[in-house]
Amino acid sequence: MDKRRRVSVTDYYSLLNTSLLYLDKATLIWNGNVVTGLEALANFFDMLPSSEFQVNMLDCQPVHEQATQAQTTVLVVTSGTVKFDGNKQHYFNQNFLLTAQTTANNTVWKIASDCFRFQDWAAI
Amino acid sequence: MGAPFKRGYDGVLELQAQEEHLTACLKLGAGYILNLPKYLYCVNKVESYNPYSGILHSNEKGKNITGFQKHYAVFKKPDGKVYKYRGDDSSPKGRNEGWSSFQDHFDKRSPRYEDDGYETQPSHHCDDDGSMVMRNVHEGPKERHSPYSFQSNRRVRWHREGNIHVTVWGNGKPVMREMRENPQDGAQGSWFKVTIPHGIKYDKIWLMNSIQSLCSVYFTPVDFHYVKNGARFFVQKASTASALMDVSYKIYDEKNQKIPIFVNPSAVPYSVRNKLGPEKMEKLKLAFSKRFDVSQQSLDLQKLRFDPNLVGHDIEMILNRRNCMAAALQIIRKNFPELLSLNLSCNKLYHLDGLSDIVHMVPTIKILDLSKNELNSMWELNKMKGLKLEELWLQGNPLCDSFPDQSTYLSAIIECFPKLLRLDGQELPSPVVIASHTPCATKPSKETCKESDTLKNMILQFLKQYYLIYDSGNRSGLLSAYHHKACFSLTIPFHSEDLALSSLCAYFKNSRNMKKVKDPDLRVQQLKHTNSDIVRALCVLPQTQHDLSSFLVDMWFQTGTLLCFSVNGVFKEVEEGSQDCVRAFTRTFIITPASSSSLCIVNDELFVMEASPKNTQSAFSIPVPTPSTSSVATLSEEQQQMVQAFSTQSGMNCQWSQKCLQDNEWNYTRAGQVFCMFKTEGKIPEEAFKEIP
Repeated sequence: MDKRRRVSVTDYYSLLNTSLLYLDKATLIWNGNVVTGLEALANFFDMLPSSEFQVNMLDCQPVHEQATQAQTTVLVVTSGTVKFDGNKQHYFNQNFLLTAQTTANNTVWKIASDCFRFQDWAAI
Repeated sequence: MGAPFKRGYDGVLELQAQEEHLTACLKLGAGYILNLPKYLYCVNKVESYNPYSGILHSNEKGKNITGFQKHYAVFKKPDGKVYKYRGDDSSPKGRNEGWSSFQDHFDKRSPRYEDDGYETQPSHHCDDDGSMVMRNVHEGPKERHSPYSFQSNRRVRWHREGNIHVTVWGNGKPVMREMRENPQDGAQGSWFKVTIPHGIKYDKIWLMNSIQSLCSVYFTPVDFHYVKNGARFFVQKASTASALMDVSYKIYDEKNQKIPIFVNPSAVPYSVRNKLGPEKMEKLKLAFSKRFDVSQQSLDLQKLRFDPNLVGHDIEMILNRRNCMAAALQIIRKNFPELLSLNLSCNKLYHLDGLSDIVHMVPTIKILDLSKNELNSMWELNKMKGLKLEELWLQGNPLCDSFPDQSTYLSAIIECFPKLLRLDGQELPSPVVIASHTPCATKPSKETCKESDTLKNMILQFLKQYYLIYDSGNRSGLLSAYHHKACFSLTIPFHSEDLALSSLCAYFKNSRNMKKVKDPDLRVQQLKHTNSDIVRALCVLPQTQHDLSSFLVDMWFQTGTLLCFSVNGVFKEVEEGSQDCVRAFTRTFIITPASSSSLCIVNDELFVMEASPKNTQSAFSIPVPTPSTSSVATLSEEQQQMVQAFSTQSGMNCQWSQKCLQDNEWNYTRAGQVFCMFKTEGKIPEEAFKEIP
């Protein structure tokens, strides 16, 4: 379980700006702005300038099935720095919920929800 | 006269002789045997039945057999006569060859047991006839004196209400043993000591259950105790001993190691050898009765040793001694079986091995006073874990001083006794019930606006309550806020320069940052996954003061059963004697309804980092009543269109447009008016017009 999550984090950041990893109804909250649905996500990522991410922290926890109604879900929390073209470097925190989508052959993890925020209090 | 009976599958039940083959389906401890032919049933509590050896074990004593520990079952035949069958496997008399001295098996008398008189010295044990009654369980080369051999053919003699002398015919597989008729021979059966090396590291209940489940014979462990790192107890029969030996190397522990079990002959265990005689037991019962309060169902045994009723009769009740404690428990079980409150204060107790039997003997106890004894570690107290205590007194024990602070002490006790309400006379912080409005995502979209407000309020309420306790200096009150299988982990950033680490060292030890912590075992360890583990971990963190006004909350996922939100904010570390440091944190909570009116936390992830003083200057200074929140208000189609339109018309970005509309209850015209008013007054910040990147 752990390995899978680590891999997915690396994948995420390398595949950032694509909406491949998201569930159909997934939601992203980006610094307080809500982006819902694959199409909106696709547009959103298109509009994001190119970026360089440095992940400094990664943690994950399984979410109890009582809360997820037996849909296997993992909470992933990351933090690090990001520099978008044309902007200064920011600390960021990102949390997302990964949920397992099982098909006959394999299990694919997709993002059910994503929350991203710049962290302005951190010491730089 | 009973009919002679054959050896067969069912052992004792063959008493019916040539009757049909009985497959006894025994219900242990319930006092009856099923599937017996109608004319036979057992009226005593049957503890166990071993179909292989056919030995029935019962715990009851007959009316005219007193002070005598034998196992027997009582049968009633259709003629109305009652027959007692006594089960005992005392071997025929006579020494066995090849029985070398077993001195080396015995432990040296260790100071630990001096007071309780626990000794396993090779004292001169003889039974009444002066012959050694020892069995060599290992087959010697000289004689095939297997434990299951028996003597010549004997007839069965039945006695009514008397001791039964029963033997079984047959060759090879024996089923019965010859009984002894002497009612005073409490020490006739051969005893064996069972040792589990390193047994100290296993939970006692788990260990005994594991052994029992694999053992073909039901056994009653006598005088369970620890000898250095090993666990040890005694059993009485060669057949039991043999069965226990078979369990050796069959149980796997957590690390997948096989657990060895060593069985050796031994002297009669201390508590049996020094068992209080019937007259003393009577006096003890009287003394206890005087100390018993029927209305409260409470028994006060403090300073028992000096009770005038006992001292006068030359009865020394030193409760550290196994035989005394066993006698006390016997009296309680027989005479006060529904006991609620037990006071054992001032009895110099330094170990609770003997008392721990009370967990299954008198499980009704809810109030326990162990104050002013000599208990010096939680390990001792943990032996009482099975009791569902509501009130506990511990003060005056050395173990109380072994905790760094009150909250770790409390957490440790609560972990041992989760239902505890009062400790040392003080009410424990009452469980937190985080009230909520029921979040429901199933209502039609027109209600979504109200819902999001409801959710927002709920989250704010939750945060207020949570941090009130969190900052209070005693975090143990948070225990009930968490699901009992909740997860919590803590991380700090991983900087290659390791600059921040030194100041965040209090958190570092518990940090589970996977970029830094690669060891999978450590990762598992750092993920706290029960509510008591979590609260324990939280209590260890530095004391804090959170600035709720600094909180920025993102509510980013919601279903009917799950609400996920992240809190960004700052807090001050307020440890005594050191300067306050400001930290920034992001904490993600996942909560779920626990009942119709309360919530509980299933996931809690805390990320702490250093805060720059410049950036946090504004925190802790400007009192703003409520934290700002952004939420995943699931806007309806209509609302989304309104937002878009408003945004286009006003020039504000979507977020601000949405806020303006929400604040004005989605009344477009009014929102517009409010907007124009604020704009002319210059009250709208620039960022409202900024394009979202």
